[in-house]
Amino acid sequence: MAFLNVLGDLGGGFATAVQPFNILMLLVGVLLGLIVGVLPGLGGTSAVAILLPVTVVIARTSPTSAVILLAGVYWGALFGGVITSILFNIPGEPWSVVLLFDGFPLAKQRGKPGVALASSFFASFVGAFFATVLFTFFARAIAEWALSFGPPELFAVFVMSFATLVGLGAESPAKAVAMIGLGLLLAAIGFDTITGQPRLTFGQIGLLSGVGFVPVTIGLFGIGEILASAEESGIGFMERLKAQVGFRDIVETLGELRKRIWMVISTGVIGFFFGVLPGHGATAGSFLGYGLARSYFSKDKSNFGKGEISGIMAPQAAADSAAVGSLVPMISLGVPGSPTSAVIMAGLFIWGLTPGPLLFTEQHDFVWGLIASIYLGHLATFLICLSAVPLLASIMRVPYAILTPFIVLISIIGSYSLNNSMLDVFITILFGLVGYWLRKMKYPLAPLVVAIVLGDSTERTFRQSLIASGGDPRIFVGTALSAVLLGLAIVLLLVPAFRTLRVRGKPVDALKEARTSEAAVAID
Amino acid sequence: MRLCQAATGLAFMGLAALAMFDSRAGALVDRSGGEPGGIGPGFYPFWSAALMFVAAGVVTYESQARGHNEGGIVFESRDAALAVIKLAVPMIAMTVALVWLGFYIVSGAFMGLFARWIGRYNWLWVVVLAVAMPLAIYLTFETGFRVTLPKSVFYEKGLLPI
Repeated sequence: MAFLNVLGDLGGGFATAVQPFNILMLLVGVLLGLIVGVLPGLGGTSAVAILLPVTVVIARTSPTSAVILLAGVYWGALFGGVITSILFNIPGEPWSVVLLFDGFPLAKQRGKPGVALASSFFASFVGAFFATVLFTFFARAIAEWALSFGPPELFAVFVMSFATLVGLGAESPAKAVAMIGLGLLLAAIGFDTITGQPRLTFGQIGLLSGVGFVPVTIGLFGIGEILASAEESGIGFMERLKAQVGFRDIVETLGELRKRIWMVISTGVIGFFFGVLPGHGATAGSFLGYGLARSYFSKDKSNFGKGEISGIMAPQAAADSAAVGSLVPMISLGVPGSPTSAVIMAGLFIWGLTPGPLLFTEQHDFVWGLIASIYLGHLATFLICLSAVPLLASIMRVPYAILTPFIVLISIIGSYSLNNSMLDVFITILFGLVGYWLRKMKYPLAPLVVAIVLGDSTERTFRQSLIASGGDPRIFVGTALSAVLLGLAIVLLLVPAFRTLRVRGKPVDALKEARTSEAAVAID
Repeated sequence: MRLCQAATGLAFMGLAALAMFDSRAGALVDRSGGEPGGIGPGFYPFWSAALMFVAAGVVTYESQARGHNEGGIVFESRDAALAVIKLAVPMIAMTVALVWLGFYIVSGAFMGLFARWIGRYNWLWVVVLAVAMPLAIYLTFETGFRVTLPKSVFYEKGLLPI
């Protein structure tokens, strides 16, 4: 019965998603995502953040159209980053870094750029499809379960989210904790929501309304990335290969996919559940997929690094699935699963919606329209990619001297236009410089972004719990659920210590490999 | 790199110390019943800052004591550092100039500067880009999305339309 209910809701979602304006928003989003995915200087997260002010106008008539636009950018960027990795040996996005290992060698050394591209597109599509099916059936169940949560349980969920970022995510747990602390502090600036007293404003009237999430994110990801890109283009090189996916390439790829279909589905499903964990977006998923392909799904490991198709398909399937999975906690619990979903979640707040379990009942059409659009978005992206690779690859030829100032100006407009505030512009530039430096120092940005988004909610649930208990902290372990979640958080916080002890006993190669996959999470 | 890691860790510690100092009044649980739940507005920022302070302390210690040398050097080459400076300095100057010159004059100048300085385009292309970019932004944002962007002091005095 529940199964039929979900199918009915999904049918309603498709009816919403296929409305002409929503289809237009989806296509615009996907195309923008593909473009930013191809451009090394601009990522999916920053593009979504820059577009937020524009979505305010769209959301006045339909929040569903606005979220479809932003989600479309996410899906487009997931596919777009692949093209530059395979054809130019330059990752357009952090999650396509892993494709440098086998994608570029298959294209260059083995002379099969079309097969390399088609392999990634097909794997992305298949992985994302299975992930979206799981999303369809799991998200509501989680949301219905979460409706029974009170402030102590919600506080425990938030603490576990932070613990996940520290325990499973970062190369350096101490850096992740420092970034979480910074994010919580930034979220606390301005009026205290319970007593109304100003905090951390240092007498500055401009800070009374707090530090906006959007200017900070545009700075960290938009300006920070363009500065990093400027540095790389100063020292970089570019390999150019023939950019086309022909009919023969598709036929050959389908044959290869058939041989690896269980690997693609399995890495897709695993990637989905990995993406559900807070802070683990597509980048971490892509490295996880690569590791699984090499360790468990391939008998002959000698071809990895030389153009092995499994080394393209598995990470792509896992990356796309993880990206889809990262939306599940955002929609059902109000906890973002990745930096991009954190920005989308900020959009929901700006449009007057509250992400979390009530969204399924209060904004039924919105949620199911979004879910249906994930199916359509991936289909549209897949078809556009197969047919328009040469056009997309040509975007890389826009000169640096035009592209770079253009991105800076668009970032500034994005941060200014939300509140018509010059302070937001200064914050964007400041965090652009800070974000660039922190990347160089290998500080993970995901914990900072997630902490800014969740900071207010974490404090609110913490204080509500204490008010309800009359100041008795035992309320946090008063129910089995909150006690288990806090226990899990403690275990997760101890993971880095166990990992250090375990890795110490391993040979140098294994240590390097472990660090590579951890670094991926740090980027994410 | 070790020095930069330590400096970054110390900067984090400094920020955290500042926040702790600012919210020190509410750092402890209030047993007198004056605050709801015994927690004042300063409690959460104080302990968030304390968490940041300790973590940054660990980062600073690790960067020195264990001899971490993550990533080797800060910049791969002199050209790489120059490329960043060439972007960062005009960007900061542009942001400051926005307050007086407004978005349209500054965006035109910024595009023109990059086209001439970095791209080495001829003057005709420089002028085309410097005019086309603000015009496209005006048509898209002011006309299309009804987003009003900051204008110059000349606009306020009625001397220029932007």
